[in-house]
Amino acid sequence: MLSFLLRRLGDVIPTFFGVTILVFLMVHLIPSDPIEMLAGERSVEPERYAELQKQYGFDKPLVVQYLNYLGGVLQGDLGKSYVTKRPVIEEFAVLFPATVELSLMGILFAISIGLPLGVIAAMKRGKWLDHLTMSLSLTGYSMPIFWWALLLIMFFSTTLGWTPVSGRLSVMYFFEPVTGFMLIDSLLSGQEGAFSSALSHLILPTIVLGTIPMAVIARMTRSSMLEVLGEEYIRVARAKGLAPMRVIMVHALRNALIPVITVIGLQVGVLFAGAILTETIFAWPGIGKWIVEALNRRDYPTIQGGILMIAFVVMAVNLFVDLMYGVINPRIRHKR
Amino acid sequence: MALLEVKNLTVEFGSEDKPFRAVDSVSYSVDRGEVLGIVGESGSGKSVSSLAVMGLIDFPGRVTADALTFDGQDLLRMPSKRRRQITGKDIAMIFQDPMSALNPCFTVEAQIMEALKVHEGGNKKQRRERTLDLLDQVGIPDPKSRMTAYPHQLSGGMSQRIVIAMAIACNPRLLIADEPTTALDVTIQAQIIDLLLKLQEDSDMGLLLITHDLALVSEAANRIQVMYAGQLFESGPADSIFAAPRHPYTQALLEALPERSEGHDRLRTIPGVVPGQYDRPAGCLLAPRCRYANESCVNARPEVSDFNGRDVRCFYPLNDQGQPTGLPTGETV
Amino acid sequence: MSENFTPSAVPASNAAEAIEPVAAPPSPLRETWDYFKKNRGAYAGLIIIAIIMFLAITAQWIAPYDPIIQDRSAFLKPPAWMEGGSWEYLLGTDAVGRDILSRLIHGAQLSVSIGLAVVAISMASGIFLGMLAGYFRGWIEVSIMRMMDIMLALPSLIMAMAIVAILGPGLENAMLAIAIVQLPHYVRLTRASVVSELNKEYVIASQVAGAGHIRQMFVNILPNCMAPLIVQGTLGISSAILDAAALGFLGLGAQPPLPEWGTMLAEAREFVGSAWWVITFPGLCILVTVLAFNLMGDGLRDALDPKMKR
Repeated sequence: MLSFLLRRLGDVIPTFFGVTILVFLMVHLIPSDPIEMLAGERSVEPERYAELQKQYGFDKPLVVQYLNYLGGVLQGDLGKSYVTKRPVIEEFAVLFPATVELSLMGILFAISIGLPLGVIAAMKRGKWLDHLTMSLSLTGYSMPIFWWALLLIMFFSTTLGWTPVSGRLSVMYFFEPVTGFMLIDSLLSGQEGAFSSALSHLILPTIVLGTIPMAVIARMTRSSMLEVLGEEYIRVARAKGLAPMRVIMVHALRNALIPVITVIGLQVGVLFAGAILTETIFAWPGIGKWIVEALNRRDYPTIQGGILMIAFVVMAVNLFVDLMYGVINPRIRHKR
Repeated sequence: MALLEVKNLTVEFGSEDKPFRAVDSVSYSVDRGEVLGIVGESGSGKSVSSLAVMGLIDFPGRVTADALTFDGQDLLRMPSKRRRQITGKDIAMIFQDPMSALNPCFTVEAQIMEALKVHEGGNKKQRRERTLDLLDQVGIPDPKSRMTAYPHQLSGGMSQRIVIAMAIACNPRLLIADEPTTALDVTIQAQIIDLLLKLQEDSDMGLLLITHDLALVSEAANRIQVMYAGQLFESGPADSIFAAPRHPYTQALLEALPERSEGHDRLRTIPGVVPGQYDRPAGCLLAPRCRYANESCVNARPEVSDFNGRDVRCFYPLNDQGQPTGLPTGETV
Repeated sequence: MSENFTPSAVPASNAAEAIEPVAAPPSPLRETWDYFKKNRGAYAGLIIIAIIMFLAITAQWIAPYDPIIQDRSAFLKPPAWMEGGSWEYLLGTDAVGRDILSRLIHGAQLSVSIGLAVVAISMASGIFLGMLAGYFRGWIEVSIMRMMDIMLALPSLIMAMAIVAILGPGLENAMLAIAIVQLPHYVRLTRASVVSELNKEYVIASQVAGAGHIRQMFVNILPNCMAPLIVQGTLGISSAILDAAALGFLGLGAQPPLPEWGTMLAEAREFVGSAWWVITFPGLCILVTVLAFNLMGDGLRDALDPKMKR
């Protein structure tokens, strides 16, 4: 198990350094001059130009600049935003919980719908329920989620008026963030109605963000279940006289889950990509919206920092999922 | 009354109008303390018939029988819940490939205790003790340390012992062993058969031993059924079948045994394969491969009939000299 | 081989031949097509793609209006069957009086070209890099594959956004970005199949016969690696269309007044409460097109996968 962990770390760490190089080079690949961008004007006076260059370290050789950058990154210094002049890492820390909350809800939604759908489809293989489930799931998988979001808003918010259009909380409520998770903070605040307001703001974004992962999970669960149901040990389990439900839920599902868990882990990337669109549409104050705004303002330190942090989180979650995989799959756990 | 009574068991797959009969009107019975050997090539329907007895044939397979009773209880017409109480408790089964018969996600202990929990109840401690007993009984060295092992940590022979322990956990009265040694090394095969026979003798179980290995049944079984393409071809006491096969197929099988090929340059073989779904002959199913077949064999299908006290499905059953009887005059082989 | 009575030397087909003569095996292409045809979803996908292709190719002639011409007398006109709609504008008009149907048809042209161009660029360079990595192994493989790992560490849309941030917004840059993002999939796939092909007898045989590296790589090995690449390419078209629309929606892809479906949605966003048609139709076009390519990709995968064949 320990060697497995070390081997995975051996894969992840060089990749992380690779991403830092990529992100670092980004600024130097831009056709326009970053100093001019910083000063916010076209032609900067030579003295001021040199001063800015020195201030941001642009006068040093590229390798030195990179090592400085890397040194900063390793200490948690991602530079300062050109726009707000605040440390990027601080802005990230403030906004990150909102994205985590949304992503967690999205993946929970995806698992709680996708997994049963996949199991049902596998059990009803070839019947109409299977075809229906799989058609729905392929549609979900092909969904342009920014359009899906607009459709849901059109129907549930503007036509029916059931859910709010945007934001995390109704303006009626205000409280200091404690955990950064609105669902928890609203409960902690003790304000009446705050929790249901937070929840109603979450519903549509959750559905939108969870749609593609749900479809992927349903498809994976189905094919994995079908493969496992054809195994001899399922027949053996039935020959023990076990109830069909127990055979499926214990003997088949446990084995079928192994590849599904990997797929769930891989959805982190999908969730972040989806969060960018979802947060933009629902004005959700998370890192997705933050990065899009930074892009529009050409706020390169923020873009760099945001991308680096997302890569970091994705890699960390994938590593975690790999370890989970070891826990659930005895064959890996015992490999020496 | 026999422990297991099977009368005209038929298993069909495929569409209603063009079904494929994997098992075609097969009858047999097993008494307590008796070993019945079912012999046949791949595709002869011997495994399918035993799955039907276990109730493991799924839709779209269809199982019909004039009688399928266990200890006088009608297995086909009882509610599925009641049937599950018999399956795994009174009738247990051992499968061909032990490496794939164990669930890779659960420990040995968990898989054996599961059967105990469903059928015997009791508390966890009792079940664990019983499991330890069982592992000891099936000859697993150091059973305590094996309890928490996962299937991938076990060898093939060891796995088959676990599978056997799992099957006999609830003291079944009938044990079906479907090719229990095929997937194992030759050196292990004899050990496993000895183990099975010992367990059978000790607890007076009925044992249904399904195999393609004639040498094996000749030593183990009291009675033998020879199956071919889903049909019963010959049945009778083991020793008399070996002494004087009545069906040309049985004869050919025996001749193909290496120990009976002494004096021949090559091992004798049976040309061709068992007919499948699409190439079933119109007449006797063996006709294309039978050395004695004549026109009536190609055109009509023989029924099972009594010949010298044995059930034989052949128009021209063999005499003690191994020559067909009743051939139309003038014809010789 | 679990059951053998005999080391039978007689061919197994003897018995079968007596019953019916064995038909000649169908050609691989024919066989694949037969399996593909049986899959109703994949077949439907193919038909939809054919229709979209037709619309894309003939857009100039069949679209009723120029996609960027504005009719100042017809802002936000609803579709013909709605109250206030007219048959002049079948699917209505947008906020500046452009015919939605015409824009959608021209959008099909854009989306199909984006999909095809992206996959062509990405697949060609991916196959080349993957072939180098798989064929030469050693440091070439390590450096190429490490690079791909780094690219895969970032979610595709975010990676594409980063590239667009460097290159600047616009349709061509967005296409290039998506092509780069898709690259690792083709590289990995090619490398994996090349590595598994490399040890096969036919490769060794032609090496002995004196085939050069280029011949080995692209004449001998590549055709045997194509099946998974074709499937990936089909699915790649759908994700390229989806990503291009997403970039367009974020303002980073095709710029107005280009009638790209995602860009159209971005312009229509503010009418979410008032004019459902400006939002519904472009998105529906994206969904249907992406779905069609996914259906076809799934069907191709099943048809080309020998394991699925019985």
